[in-house]
Amino acid sequence: MSFLTINGVSKSFGGLQALRDISFDVEQQEVVGLMGANGAGKTTLFSLIAGHSRPSLGSIHFKGRPIAALRPDHICRQGIARTFQIVRPFANMTVLDNVIVGALYGVRQERSTARAAASAMDILADLNLANRADDPASSLTLSGQKRLEIARALATGPELLMLDEVMAGLTATEVSELLDSIRRIKRRMSLTILMVEHVMQALMRLSDRVMVLHHGELIAQGKPQEIVADPKVIAAYLGPST
Amino acid sequence: MQPVPIRTSLIFVAVIGAASFLPQFGSEYVVAVALSFAMWVALAQSWTVLCGMTGYGSFGHAAFYGMGAYVQVLTWGTLSPWLSVPLAGLVSCLFALAAGYPALKVRGPYFVMLTFGLAEFLKFSIIGIEATLGQFSRLIIGAPSPNALYLAMLGLAAAATLITYVVSNSRFGYGLRAIREEEQAAETIGIPVARYKLTAFGLSAFIPGMVGAVMAMRLSYFEPSQAFDALISFNIVVMAMIGGSDDARGPLLGALFLIGLSELLWARAPQVYMIVLGALLVFFVLFAPQGLAKQLFGGARRRAT
Repeated sequence: MSFLTINGVSKSFGGLQALRDISFDVEQQEVVGLMGANGAGKTTLFSLIAGHSRPSLGSIHFKGRPIAALRPDHICRQGIARTFQIVRPFANMTVLDNVIVGALYGVRQERSTARAAASAMDILADLNLANRADDPASSLTLSGQKRLEIARALATGPELLMLDEVMAGLTATEVSELLDSIRRIKRRMSLTILMVEHVMQALMRLSDRVMVLHHGELIAQGKPQEIVADPKVIAAYLGPST
Repeated sequence: MQPVPIRTSLIFVAVIGAASFLPQFGSEYVVAVALSFAMWVALAQSWTVLCGMTGYGSFGHAAFYGMGAYVQVLTWGTLSPWLSVPLAGLVSCLFALAAGYPALKVRGPYFVMLTFGLAEFLKFSIIGIEATLGQFSRLIIGAPSPNALYLAMLGLAAAATLITYVVSNSRFGYGLRAIREEEQAAETIGIPVARYKLTAFGLSAFIPGMVGAVMAMRLSYFEPSQAFDALISFNIVVMAMIGGSDDARGPLLGALFLIGLSELLWARAPQVYMIVLGALLVFFVLFAPQGLAKQLFGGARRRAT
């Protein structure tokens, strides 16, 4: 039994087929990168796993349990946390409070705000946000808000972390710092990670395995080095060679 | 939840204690103003539990007040008035849960319109029922003394302030604020959004129901278009907005400010009262949208630790 199993999942919106018969497994503590052009269905797949929408066909199992029919808050409590590609901070709350809420709910369901605050501070330190703890979340730069998304997701105490383009819009230095942070956190918290990413450097350095979505279909998967050399992937990205 | 700071609880107990001796030395007028102040504090605090924290603005809180008053006159003579008061709170609460279940599925201006509409619908339903029964207004004869009613209202104001304070500093309060800020993100980190909104709605209707029941005795009659008057809803919103903030300080400041102002204006210049009120609301929305509480106590919320 795999940690996360996607079996024959399809999703259509009206006449548009966003995902077609997707099947794959993710093993515990694996880091799986998901790539594909805009509109390939990556974010749709995330939304299905996180419970924001339901598959038209197929099933999703997490630790052996079917989760496709559960609400997002239930799925989070099973141990799946996600970030949003377009950041969604609790803008008028402080950076620390944003992360505290995560620890108060999620898997942890921490009853004491003091204990939630203590663990939130640790997570903020991991993501280089500790010095901004008392500032309103809206005052952070994009890079800061992306890291806050991750911090809030981590605070819920997930086993599976889904990162939706957390590197997009960051400078090269910021990308490299964030990569280090994610690696460190992954080791410390024994996380399994599923990440959508366009930044190739991030995919190459973090992923154990990369999957490629194209027009809603899974066209290739394998080790990062194999994937970048795969003719099907090159064709999907650059158009077929003539 | 964190322990209540000693200074805050001392001030709270001292103010309530002092206020409960008011009938001993205050004039009738002073007690009447104090009762009105306590009433608006209780209503504005209740409103804040739902609307200040979740961002779902209710323009229909008069419905809960009116329901409470109606329960009081209906049970007058059959039930002890002091039993009717909590019963009125319960009925309002149940009504809120029934109405909130569908209503809380929409947000923003739609929720505002819906709550206003529901309250008006309830008002005209009760007017219709009363007309069918041949009742155009009901009298309450032999109500408790104004001083006893003042103390009851003071108790409700204290209870409402305490509820807002406790909720605001609790885990539940964190969840409600997260819903206000970003509902989908709140759900994604494990907050049971629908259940929380409904709980807050029910909670915010309970005290207003009891306030209505006490006020029915104070006014000693019940007339639906007055008990369900939309102006009650508007006043609550104005006070909460002028007070600002999503904790217990805002409604206190807002009620204090507005009651003080209305007493001054009604006495000195009654013809300009509504004009001044309107101008003030515009001023606050434009220049101090965060309200008095934020102006006096500063910006971002203090940290939880």
